[in-house]
Amino acid sequence: MEYILIKTLEAMATFILAFLVGMTYGGVVRKITGRVHNRLGPPWYQNFIDAFKLFSKTRGIHHGAMHFLGAAFLMVTSVVSLMIIPVLAPGGHAWYNSWFTNMNFNGDLIFLLYIMTFGPLGMAMGAGQTGNPNSSIGVTRGLSQMVGFEIPWVMALVALMISYKTTSVIDFMNIQRETGTWLMFANPFAFIAAVLAMLGMFRYSPFDIVGAPTELASGPVSENGGKFLFTMMSSGSVFTFAKLVLYVDLFMGGANNLVMLVVKTFLLYMIPVLYGIVSPRYRTEQAVRWFWGWPTFIGLLAILYAVMF
Amino acid sequence: MDMITLILLLFLGGAIVTWLGGKLSPIVGDMLFLVTIIVPAGMFFTGVTVGEVTHLHALGLTLTWGLSPLSYLFSMIVVGLGILLAIYAVPFMKGKQKTGAFYFNFTLSVMAMLGILVSKDWVSFFIFWEIMTWSSYLMVILNGKDVQRVGIKYFIFSAIGAYAMLMAMVVMNSQLGSFLMADTFNNFQHLTVGNQILIPILLLTAFGVKSAMMPLHVWAPDAYSNAPMAYTGLFSGALSKMGIYGMVLVMVTMINQLPEGTLIRDIIAWMGGFTAAAATLWAITQDDGKKLLAWSSVGQMGYIIVGVAIGTPLAMLAALFLVVVHAMFKGSLFMVVGAIEKQTGTTDFREINGLIRKMPWTFISALISVIALAGIPPLAGFVSKWMLYEALIQNNNYILVILLFFASTAGFLYCYKFLHGYFLGQEEPEWAHVKEAPAAMVIPMLLLAIGTFVLGTFPQLLFKPIDSALQYVGYDATGGHLWGQSILFSEWGDIVTLQPILYVVLAVFVFFALFLWFKGTKGTRYVSTKDISTSGELPKEWENLTFKVNFMQPFERTIEPFLKRQIDKYYTAFGNGLEALFEFTRRIYTGNGQTYAIYAILFLALLLLFRVNLFG
Repeated sequence: MEYILIKTLEAMATFILAFLVGMTYGGVVRKITGRVHNRLGPPWYQNFIDAFKLFSKTRGIHHGAMHFLGAAFLMVTSVVSLMIIPVLAPGGHAWYNSWFTNMNFNGDLIFLLYIMTFGPLGMAMGAGQTGNPNSSIGVTRGLSQMVGFEIPWVMALVALMISYKTTSVIDFMNIQRETGTWLMFANPFAFIAAVLAMLGMFRYSPFDIVGAPTELASGPVSENGGKFLFTMMSSGSVFTFAKLVLYVDLFMGGANNLVMLVVKTFLLYMIPVLYGIVSPRYRTEQAVRWFWGWPTFIGLLAILYAVMF
Repeated sequence: MDMITLILLLFLGGAIVTWLGGKLSPIVGDMLFLVTIIVPAGMFFTGVTVGEVTHLHALGLTLTWGLSPLSYLFSMIVVGLGILLAIYAVPFMKGKQKTGAFYFNFTLSVMAMLGILVSKDWVSFFIFWEIMTWSSYLMVILNGKDVQRVGIKYFIFSAIGAYAMLMAMVVMNSQLGSFLMADTFNNFQHLTVGNQILIPILLLTAFGVKSAMMPLHVWAPDAYSNAPMAYTGLFSGALSKMGIYGMVLVMVTMINQLPEGTLIRDIIAWMGGFTAAAATLWAITQDDGKKLLAWSSVGQMGYIIVGVAIGTPLAMLAALFLVVVHAMFKGSLFMVVGAIEKQTGTTDFREINGLIRKMPWTFISALISVIALAGIPPLAGFVSKWMLYEALIQNNNYILVILLFFASTAGFLYCYKFLHGYFLGQEEPEWAHVKEAPAAMVIPMLLLAIGTFVLGTFPQLLFKPIDSALQYVGYDATGGHLWGQSILFSEWGDIVTLQPILYVVLAVFVFFALFLWFKGTKGTRYVSTKDISTSGELPKEWENLTFKVNFMQPFERTIEPFLKRQIDKYYTAFGNGLEALFEFTRRIYTGNGQTYAIYAILFLALLLLFRVNLFG
C-alpha cells in the first residue's frame, strides 16, 4: 500500500513537472513568435494565466457523453505516454532521479506509437458529437496528416530497432550510455527523418492544418471552453513535453538531470517552432505528400544504413 | 453413429426442416432455425473431443473425418459466431423477404464450414468447400440486387479457386494414390519437382480466392456488402477464414518441404502486405458502411496472410490470434451496420447522421470494436498487431513492417469515418424517430465487443488453444509454449509486462471521465447540435451544418494517383477481350446449316486439292 502511495506521488510529481515545463514552453513560444513578428508578445507566463482563467470558469451547457469522453481520452494518452517514457536517463545521480522512473521499464516503442494515437482518436469522437462541421473537418485533416508523418517516423524507429534489436526505450538509453555515442550521430539519417516527422507531429506551420485559425476556427477544439479547454490545454502541454522527452531519450542519450533535460528538449522544440514562425500553411494533400517525399526517402536511407552497418 | 457425423447431419436436416417449417408460419421457421443452429452447436461444444476420427464409406470412397487442434480453433470461431449471428439474424430478418432461403443457406454455410474443418481427406474437403461456396453465393444474390455484376464475379472467382483445388487433388491422387490429407502431406517428397511447386500454388490460389488476397480479391467487397448483414458477419468473420485455414495447412506441410519455400513465402507475404495497404486506402474512399467494412475485411485478411506466410512461430501466433479477434470485432461491426440498416433503412454515411443518442448501445459496441480494429491498446487487436510487428522485425522484413504500419495508421481514417458517419455529426430531424435496435440484436454485438476487451486483457485465454494448434502442425515449443517468444508475455501468457500499463490506462481514463462528467453536467443543460457557436456566430435554423459528402476529400486527393490503378479494370479488359474472341468464334460457328454446309464443301475441296500430298 505504501509502495503504491509513493508511486502515485512520484507519478504526480512527474505530471506536475511536465505540466509546468510544457506550459512554460507554450508561453515562451508565444513570446518568441511575437518577437519574430515584430510584436511585443505576451509574457512567458501567459499560458498559466489562461489556464487558471479557463479552469475557474463554470460551464452552462454540455454536448453529450462522447464529448466528455473525448477530453478524457486525450488526457489518458498524455498521462500514459508520460508515465512510460523515461523522463531521466537511468545513469543519473541527482537526488530526485528516482522520482521520475514511474513505469519506464515497460517503455516500448510500438506500444507508444499506438497509445499516442488513442487520444487524438478519442478527441476526434468528442469533436464529432458537438456537430460542428469545422471540428470534423479539422479531424479529417489531422488524421490525414498523421498518416503522412507516421511513415518517416516509423521508418526512423524501425531503423533504430534494426540496429539494436530492441524496442524498449530504456534499452536505447542504456546503449547510448555504454557506447558514449548519441544515436543522432550513430544513425544520422534516422534522426533527420524523425525530426522531419516531428514538424508534422507538433502541428506548427506549415503543418497547422488541423487548427487552422483562419479557416476552421481552431478546428476540433472549437466547441470547447472552460474546463474542457483547460483539460485539452494542459493535456497538450504534457503531451508536447512527453514527445520531446521521447526524442531526447532516443536520439540525444536522455538527460541525467532536469537542467540538461530542459536544455535538450528546448533546443529540440525550437526546430518546429522556428521553422513554423516563418512558414505559411500547406494544404492537406500538400502536407501529406511532403511527408511521403524527402522525409520518407531519408527514412529509407536510415533503414538501409541500419541494415548495412 | 458418432458425434461429428451426427452434428453435420443435424445441421443438414435442420436446414431442410427449417425451410419447410418457415412455409407453415414465420415463427415456426424462426424457432426451428434457432434450434437448428444452437442444438448441434451445443453438442459440438460438449460432445466432440479433439483427436477423434471417424470413417464414412460412401460412393466407393472412404471419407475420413476428425477434429485436430488446429481445426478446433477455427471451428470455435464458426460455431461461436454462428450462434451469435443466428440469434441476431432472427430479428434482423423479421418482415423481410426470402427468410426461408436465408435460414437454409445460413445453416448450410455453418455445416459446410464445420465439414471443411473436420475433413481429413481431400474429397470431403472439396465437397464441403463447394457447399460453402454455393450457399454463400446464394446469400450474395439473395436480395436480387446486382446479381449480374456481383454474383457472376463471385462465382467466377470461386470457380477458378475450385478448379485449381480440384486439379491439385487429382494430381496428388494420381501421383500418390491417396486422397487422405495426411498421406499427401507425408509423401510430398515423392512427387516430382514440378508437381511439388505446382500443387501448393494451385492450392494457394484456391485459398487465396476465399481469403480475398490481392489480386484475387475483386469479388470480396461487392459480395460482402451485397449479402444480408446478418450473414456478412459470418462471411467475413468465419467463411473467409477457411482460406486461412487451408493456407496454414499448405504452408506448414508443403511449403516447408520445398527448397524454394522461402521465395513463395516472401511472395505471399508481400501480396498480403500489399492487400493490407491497398484495401485500407480503398476503404477510406467508401461512402457506404457496408462497403467500407468489406474493404476493411480484405485489408485485415492481408495482415493475417502476412503472418501465415512469414510462418515463424511468433508470426503464426499473431496471425491466428488476429483470425479469432478479427472474427469478433468484424462480426460485431457488421451487426452494427445491420442494426442501422434495420432501424433507418439505409447504410449510406451521407444520409444518416448523429445516431449516437438514439442508438447508444449500438454505438458502444461500434466504438469498442473500432478501437480493437484500429489496434489500440488495451484491446485485443493490439496484441496481435504487436506480435506481428515483432515477428516481422525478427525475421528482417523491414519494409513489410513499414507497409503494415502505414496500413494500420491509415486504418484510423476509415475507423473515424465509420463512427462519424453513422453516430456523430449533426442530428437531423429526419432521423428523430429512430429507436435503438431490439435487444436480441444488440446483445450479440455487445458480447463480441466485450470479448475483444477480455482477450486484450487476458490473451492467455486464446494463447492456449492456438499454442496446441501450432504444436499439432509441427511447431516446436521450447518450454511447452510459443508465446514466450514475444517479449510482451510472460511464462503464463498473461501480459505481465503490460498489465500495469493497462490498468493505469483504465484508471486514468475512469478518473478523467468521472471528473469531467461531474464537473461538466452539474447544473448544465444539453444543447442540440444546432445550438453551437461557429466562430462566435450562432448558425441559423436553415443553415446546413452537415459535413458528410467528400468526408476524406483531402486524403483522397493525396492518394488519387494510386486509386487510378485498379486490378478490376484489367480483369474487365481481359473479360472484354475474351468476349471479342467469343464473338469471333461465333462468326465461324454461326449456327446456320448453310454455313456448315459450306465448311463441309470447302473441306472436301481442300482434300481433293491436296489429295496427292495427303494420300500419295
